[in-house]
Amino acid sequence: MSRLVLLLCCTLSIGGVPSQGSKSAPEIIKSVGVFTAPISIEVFSDFQCPSCKLLYEQTLRPLTDDYVAKGKVYLVHRDFPLPQHAHAREAACYACAAGRIGKYEAACDVLFKRQDSWAADGKVGDTVCGALSPSEAKQVRALVKDPQIVASVDQDIQLGQAAGVRQTPTLVITYKNQRYPISGAVSYDLLRRFIDQLLTK
Amino acid sequence: MNWRRWLVLILRVGLAAVFVYAAWSKLRQPWLLFAMAIDAYGVLPEWAVMTLARALPWFELALGLLLLTGFWLRQSAIIASALLVVFFAVMLRSYTKGLQIDCACFGFGEAISLKTLLRDGLLVLSSVALTALAFGRTTPSATPT
Repeated sequence: MSRLVLLLCCTLSIGGVPSQGSKSAPEIIKSVGVFTAPISIEVFSDFQCPSCKLLYEQTLRPLTDDYVAKGKVYLVHRDFPLPQHAHAREAACYACAAGRIGKYEAACDVLFKRQDSWAADGKVGDTVCGALSPSEAKQVRALVKDPQIVASVDQDIQLGQAAGVRQTPTLVITYKNQRYPISGAVSYDLLRRFIDQLLTK
Repeated sequence: MNWRRWLVLILRVGLAAVFVYAAWSKLRQPWLLFAMAIDAYGVLPEWAVMTLARALPWFELALGLLLLTGFWLRQSAIIASALLVVFFAVMLRSYTKGLQIDCACFGFGEAISLKTLLRDGLLVLSSVALTALAFGRTTPSATPT
């Protein structure tokens, strides 16, 4: 966790998305790693999707430790809330709002960890704010109403649609201008092999 | 009967085109991408996923070529039917479980949906029909006369 925060801070000073060419505040908030890493991975994800939870907990965490931390992979989270998930969009907005105060990882952690709970009762705000201090929670509750937050989620959805994303989670791996889309809760072992194969090219 | 031979030809060439295209769409990408797509179905252990990802595109290509040429038509029609039934079953399982995964039928970026199920169902029917017609003839031949 502390490593993720450290990387996020590192990213905040460098930032950017190789595959998209330009960077904006929401992208920087939701990216981890070094911009100049040879491989970039965009993860189109929905906080209410069970496969996204699996991917986050079983694949992205070891990926962060083994590749992002070592400057080999630049990881960008993109929100792609699916229409059939009633609270996914709200969850994405809360995560982005938490990101504005440097708590994006904390929001992601708690949203995925307690997915079953808030997906059932719809208490997204309480879930995210429960992982923050009272003053941070107050800030997040105010920020989530900011139209820019909603716009950033919409922007991610548009990027996903433009990239041909139809389901979540979808990873778009970019290496030397070649894009490789992969859907589903990809196992870490296979993803690791694929990244190693790309790096030895 | 002449119409039967023409029907066999149409089904044979149609299915051959499907298998050859499916093989080509997988072989032009790194095999590990296909391995990840198979793994997303969650039905096989990793060693089987790796083996299948390497072998299946070549198997599909060989099967497509056999159907195209008409050699061992009865055998290749049975194998094609069995393969398509397995594909249909795993796709149906994933769809009913609500898995948001790639079909990986012809490359990548196509989610499993009613459309993909319907398409695969039609392929199963075509292949079963071809098998029945191939066994209905006294001597299987590659071209209609």
